[in-house]
Amino acid sequence: MIGALVIVVYVATGLLAVYGLVRAVQGRHPGRDTRVGVGIVEALLVVQAAIAAFRVLGGGTALPEQGTFLIYLVVSICVLPIGLQFAVTEPTTRWGGAVVAVAAIGTGVAVWRLAELWAAGSV
Amino acid sequence: MSERAATPTSSGPGRVLIAVYAIFALAATARAAVQIATKFSEAPVAYLLSAFAGVVYILATIGLAGTGPGRRRLAWAAVGIELVGVLAVGTITVLDTTDFPDDTVWSLYGRGYGFVPLVLPLIGLWWLRRTRAR
Repeated sequence: MIGALVIVVYVATGLLAVYGLVRAVQGRHPGRDTRVGVGIVEALLVVQAAIAAFRVLGGGTALPEQGTFLIYLVVSICVLPIGLQFAVTEPTTRWGGAVVAVAAIGTGVAVWRLAELWAAGSV
Repeated sequence: MSERAATPTSSGPGRVLIAVYAIFALAATARAAVQIATKFSEAPVAYLLSAFAGVVYILATIGLAGTGPGRRRLAWAAVGIELVGVLAVGTITVLDTTDFPDDTVWSLYGRGYGFVPLVLPLIGLWWLRRTRAR
């Protein structure tokens, strides 16, 4: 993985989580800007996953827990789109933003685990 | 006291709760699957327990996300088992680590997961109680 990109992803998921919570507190339904935000973060995650998968599967890097790493990689991509879908189908307005925030935090934790697993392989 | 029908557990803040449960279901099951597939003999009890925890989270998610008395019973059972599981495994791992050579979601009351596994069933039970018919 790339150190700088991981930090960008942390910041992006963190901002998205804060934004989702602000929407929830304001009582506003996740709108177009929430979708755009999720889209941007998701694009970063896909780029990161592609680079990491290429490096691991291409044989450049050997990881002690390769299977776990690859599964977390898939999790890091999947959580936000599913979370967004679940958030916008919430009929009462208030809680959709909080669902997006939970998905963003979950994604951030998955990326943190990925970084840990990656660091264990590059010692 | 006026009679009130049960509120769907998937409404309002329940949505957030289900999202957290779904993430735990995904993470715990995926992790257990990898552990069992790649190094089962190292710590069979711990990995089977991880898988069991994953299944409990999946059932809790299904129960909470659904509507009707059947799903609600499923949610009660799954969240109840989850609370018993995290308390039992947490206590065993605090007292004696030899039986659990590798971590599970519930080890040390879920410390590896920011104690969310300990808090989650309490919130789950509270939410089921709050939304029930009365």
